[in-house]
Amino acid sequence: MSVRRYLPHYLMIAPFMILFAAFFLYPILSGFYYSFHDWNGVKPPAYVGLANYQKIVVSRDFATAMRNLLTYVAITVPLGILVALGLALLVDSFTGRWANFFRNAYFLPVVLPAFLAATIWRWIYAPNFGLLNMILGWFGAPSVNFLNDTGTMLYALIAVDVWVSAGFNMVIILAGLKNIPAELYEAARLDGANKWQQIVHITIPMLGPVLFFVVTYGLISAMQVFDKPWLLTGSSFTSYGGRRNALLFPVMDMMGRAFGSVRFGEAAAYGFLLTVTIVILTAAMFGLRRWRGWA
Amino acid sequence: MKTLDKLRFGVAGLAVLFALGTSGPAVAEDITLQYWVYSDFGQGDALALQQEFIKEFTAKHPGVTIEIVGKGDDDLTAGQVAGAASGNLPDVFMNAQSVGAQLVEIGALDNMYSKWMAMPEEFRAQFDQDALKSCMPKPDELYCLPYTGFGSLLFRNLTVLEKAGIDTTKPPATWDEWFAQMKQVKDAGMFAIPDETLVFNSIAEIYATSGGTDSWGFDWANRKTRIDPATMTKVLQKFVDMKPLGSGTSRNDQATKDLFISNQLAFHTIGPWVNPTYEEAAKASGLKYDFVLIPGDEAGKTGGIRSYEIVGVAPGPHADLAFEFAAYITEKAQMARWAKLLSRYNANAAAMADPDVAALPLIKVSVDAAHGAMDVAAPYFVDSVPSCYNSTVIDIASATADGSSTPEEGAKEMISQLNDCLAK
Amino acid sequence: MSVPSLRRISIWVVLKWAIALAVAGIALFPIWWMINVVFALPGEPVSLNPRLWPTSIPAGMEKIGLILTETDYLRAYTVSVLYAVLTIAGVLLIGSLGAFEFALFEFPGRNLLFGIVMLSLMVPTAVTIIPTYLLTSQLGWVNTMRGLVIPGVASAFGLFMLVQFMRAIPKEMIEAARLDGASHTQIYWHVALPLCRNALVTLAILTFMQTWGNYMWPLIIGTKPEMYTVGQVVGMFNSPLSHQTVDMVMTANLLAAIPPLLFFLIFQRKIVEGIATSGTKG
Repeated sequence: MSVRRYLPHYLMIAPFMILFAAFFLYPILSGFYYSFHDWNGVKPPAYVGLANYQKIVVSRDFATAMRNLLTYVAITVPLGILVALGLALLVDSFTGRWANFFRNAYFLPVVLPAFLAATIWRWIYAPNFGLLNMILGWFGAPSVNFLNDTGTMLYALIAVDVWVSAGFNMVIILAGLKNIPAELYEAARLDGANKWQQIVHITIPMLGPVLFFVVTYGLISAMQVFDKPWLLTGSSFTSYGGRRNALLFPVMDMMGRAFGSVRFGEAAAYGFLLTVTIVILTAAMFGLRRWRGWA
Repeated sequence: MKTLDKLRFGVAGLAVLFALGTSGPAVAEDITLQYWVYSDFGQGDALALQQEFIKEFTAKHPGVTIEIVGKGDDDLTAGQVAGAASGNLPDVFMNAQSVGAQLVEIGALDNMYSKWMAMPEEFRAQFDQDALKSCMPKPDELYCLPYTGFGSLLFRNLTVLEKAGIDTTKPPATWDEWFAQMKQVKDAGMFAIPDETLVFNSIAEIYATSGGTDSWGFDWANRKTRIDPATMTKVLQKFVDMKPLGSGTSRNDQATKDLFISNQLAFHTIGPWVNPTYEEAAKASGLKYDFVLIPGDEAGKTGGIRSYEIVGVAPGPHADLAFEFAAYITEKAQMARWAKLLSRYNANAAAMADPDVAALPLIKVSVDAAHGAMDVAAPYFVDSVPSCYNSTVIDIASATADGSSTPEEGAKEMISQLNDCLAK
Repeated sequence: MSVPSLRRISIWVVLKWAIALAVAGIALFPIWWMINVVFALPGEPVSLNPRLWPTSIPAGMEKIGLILTETDYLRAYTVSVLYAVLTIAGVLLIGSLGAFEFALFEFPGRNLLFGIVMLSLMVPTAVTIIPTYLLTSQLGWVNTMRGLVIPGVASAFGLFMLVQFMRAIPKEMIEAARLDGASHTQIYWHVALPLCRNALVTLAILTFMQTWGNYMWPLIIGTKPEMYTVGQVVGMFNSPLSHQTVDMVMTANLLAAIPPLLFFLIFQRKIVEGIATSGTKG
């Protein structure tokens, strides 16, 4: 009886769930299965139990990669979202042609193919003759080897990342801003609220669900960072991570193990270790939301 | 409903059987071979020549089509790995020697030894013997035909050297001479050389000035590195010495090429692929440069590395035909045409000795460079090199150059870490 | 509108413009520089021509012409555009159907199913790419557009985003429509979709960017040149040991950036101000 009642709901989600089950769930379960095996894609998989997991957790690279990852995520996600929010509010405060111009300008970095962005930034960061070092030279400062000095590499990466992700998150937040009815702002103005108060008491609460999405998705994707550090360090499957592994991240190591050493079982195990970490952090986000009544 | 379906299936099945049955002894089998090449060879003039080879071959083999596909380096490997997993391997393909072991492991490479021995002696003698040996991990195994390759060259910016007061008519004959020239360049206010500790291949190139193939590479039987501590200590000292003279960029960076072209960098140790860029610069902005051998410690010894790209054949029903095609494109006539077109060195020694080919300046130097060079990761095709190996070498070389340990300590540390890496 | 007198231009307005323009400069300069590299004579050293402005339009046009005629760039454009458009259609349709349910209604298993979908976002592609490829290969979809598009249509990203936007739809509107006798599907089509139009347009734009830049999947699914996406054609130029000169490489990359840019410019206009929710008063 009750199934009848809910049938329309199940029917509506059926297309998504079927495709999802086939092309996401099944591969994930496959991957999970292979993580307990030694497999190179061709030979029959050989069961090795937890050996893959053990091997990865004790390896020195794992600790380095996780350390880099946590530092990177802790800085990039909040910074990126603050910048995106700021840009969205900024763009929103203009009207007409100028609003369009600024929105398009800020989104442009997202449009670039990853390799192109990386090449451009490698030139900008180049020691002695890169753009940044030339500017430093005008002020008499010595040249900094941004992409090869282990002290600066991570921050150089974060700058590039924010440069791209700010535009990406900005358009999402803008869509949310446009959904806020103008009457609310009118009413607040009539009540005597100034710009700041309007932002804090109307904009941010009304943006709740959108901000939650941007922060959570930002967190999940930052944990899986791969193409920017890979391209900025000129990595290949046989040699990746940059100098002293300063830009080694878990997904890079996974790709290396999968396509470089052709050890899919290990790559899968690594993947699931990362997944567990992401799940814990995301669950914390959802838990916070429920507890604080956000979004 | 169910019965109707069964009926449908039955009819379809019969139809298929019928079709198969009546096709009988039709025309000679129509076979399509998939031929994967490096992206360079899949574009422009190189592609045109490859397509000519294909046309000539298929003219002699009616019913055969060959599809040529170009891919970038990493993509070739990734595609072959995925293809092996799903049974969609390319039939003939190129790749680097250094990934040979992985390709054998996933079953992408056929052992061509018996087909090889069936070829006439004069064909087999055409190949550079060193290159060939690297395709044969065991006496009765041949996994590839060596194809193109390179030996490292020393590109010299003659304008910079002249400005530093160096006589450019004689290239430096020994390391000491070369190092003295580097210091002179630095004193004249310009960069001498890229930072050679940033990339595995450039570290190897400098190592080769003191060491050789025997004191580099892997001892797979014992899973240890063959790097000799005394040689490595000497080489690490060289990195320390070169540090203040360098540009801070790696030999592969665009910035390095820019510095060279704008007459601010004297020496560039790299392979011949930068030549088109420098040639163009010579025309556009008057760059004066040449390429010579990298000098070793003693006169007559050269540094630098050599590496080959290979042509491999996948096992399976088309392996014989694929081998025939591979043999066709690697034999002297085709390789000579190839060399003349691209002005680049390849592993067919007979083609290299062809007078027209040997007259090309880049080829002449490359042949000498390859002969004196060190194999970058020998022996090949035995086992895959774990990624910790290259990164350990790079890390410790850069750390030592930075001064965080003495060359002696650095060498000892490197070797012990490399042995740990290989032991896993 | 009269020009405000100098006294009236507040410090905030000046600051706002200064920041906006400075950020625009940071966002745009790298791209400007790339255009200059393309439209310059090859081989010129950077110290003579620091590429601060285009110096040779003909040289740039020649390079572009060379790449378009000598490689299969135009065919790759077609493949990539088709791939992107089909994916967008699929993601928007299927994602919105799902988001409609997950955001606005309760039914048994809702939280569990949504949780599982969210979980898939957290498993890196590197883990699933080979099993997905093997499945697609068993279906016989290698080197087909189906194989390229369909595995990506059930996008958890799209679902998550649309759910968050749809949660803002007031329940009263749904109730009102139901009382008016609308069927479930009609509520979806006539009430929910129009209200999250901005989200749909934004999702379309972002999906375009993601499929356009997608590298690994087309690489292993589209092994034959007829199925090469723009990413793969450009990948041939980007090989580090390529004999190509840097300006040709940049030209190839620049050409790859144009369609996403056009798509964005066309579609961002559709993001409309202040969706009126005055309907609740009725």
